[in-house]
Amino acid sequence: MAAALFAQSAARDNLARGRAFWDQRLAQSAIAALEVAARDKDTAAEAHEALGRLYTFKGWQQESVFPGWHDEPAYRARALAELRAAVTADPSRPSGQEALRIAEGFASAEKVDPAPPREDVKALDARIDAYRNAAAPIADIEAAIEARAKAQADPAPYFTGAQILLDRGEHDRAIALAGRGRAASDRFVGENLSAYQMAGKSQGAYSRGRATAADLIGWAAYLKKEYDRAAASLGDAERLSRGQDFANQFHLGELARATNQSDRARQHYLDALALSAGPPPLRQRATDALRAIHAGDRASGSFAAWLETELTRRRDDRRSAALKSVVDRALPPLTLTAVDGRPYDAAGLRGKVLLLNFFASW
Amino acid sequence: MPHLKTAYAKYQNDAAVAFVLVSIDDDDKRLHRFLDEMKFPFTVLHANKDEAQQKMGFDDLPATFYVDRDGIVRFEARGMESHGDSPDRVSWFIEQLKQP
Repeated sequence: MAAALFAQSAARDNLARGRAFWDQRLAQSAIAALEVAARDKDTAAEAHEALGRLYTFKGWQQESVFPGWHDEPAYRARALAELRAAVTADPSRPSGQEALRIAEGFASAEKVDPAPPREDVKALDARIDAYRNAAAPIADIEAAIEARAKAQADPAPYFTGAQILLDRGEHDRAIALAGRGRAASDRFVGENLSAYQMAGKSQGAYSRGRATAADLIGWAAYLKKEYDRAAASLGDAERLSRGQDFANQFHLGELARATNQSDRARQHYLDALALSAGPPPLRQRATDALRAIHAGDRASGSFAAWLETELTRRRDDRRSAALKSVVDRALPPLTLTAVDGRPYDAAGLRGKVLLLNFFASW
Repeated sequence: MPHLKTAYAKYQNDAAVAFVLVSIDDDDKRLHRFLDEMKFPFTVLHANKDEAQQKMGFDDLPATFYVDRDGIVRFEARGMESHGDSPDRVSWFIEQLKQP
């Protein structure tokens, strides 16, 4: 009797945890918990329905719901199977029947729209946003960030929050939040790996989260005048974003200028402006900084003409580099031999992280 | 390139990581003199200079590529850019790819 009660409460517990994980969009943990709950007859109907709803979302409704996410048609048949199992387990539950009807409708539809933004999450985002330009106690801002992070596990509230705290001069709190954002991003991507469809895309998602955190931490360190730490962290962000992030290049420019490296500052400001992104006020600041450096160079000719030439050259270089670059592509098949000319079998390298260094003795 | 040896010390017993040097020399004797002198502890291979340049898209040496477990090229460090082969940098790139 006691054992049966215990099993029942464990199944209930798994069901509740699975639903909570999925509310936060942590798919892998949700599926693991719900699959356990589905094996217990007391919770089978509800767990099968929750799994079916989750798979319905994955199969038909998650295109671009988060950056890099795509529909996963492989889950469609599983969605229908789970929902049929839910109805079989308890034919009297209306919500199971409704979920099955919806999924069957999707299965026969020409086209299914992605899931609309969630109203509860939108409201919590708006609460954080309201603190951008309004005076409020730091504790209130942090509470709003926590509330949003609890509702959905993506890293956005941490990164937005860190930026707001930076603007308030709360550098250490911003660094702590950015660090939590990085951890949240890693977990969120990992929990939803299959939604990215390709290894290159999920790696890109990991890199974006890590780059955003590193840039925020580096910028906070810069504002604290900890220039070594700033250089290390902003440099990490630059490598992770491959120099393609406006804010990061602008921040590197500001750091170089503060440490009297006007050559480097000029390069970073130009790299920033050659990217199409970036809010107008920051673009203006980068332009003004360049104008000051340019005037200091006692260079001849107009600043505007010089700037235009430099930006055009950078855009051209970037275009041709992007065409040539193998980054984000499969390693091209190369004919490799041992140094004595005998054939080399590269099979032993498969599945390893590989450092491939091309060199010549000349 | 001595940096690579230093960086390799950290990974030599790590079965999930491989260091491979690819020479694009066309002078065998010179290459072997160089290898005798450097005594690299890792795999050294040879590729045709033109084929390697064309397929990998580099026009400067050394050119270092970091390939993930799925065989996707994830980072490249060209020439002396950003101290591309300092030991810290090398392990930074590798650690990025060793993460999930």
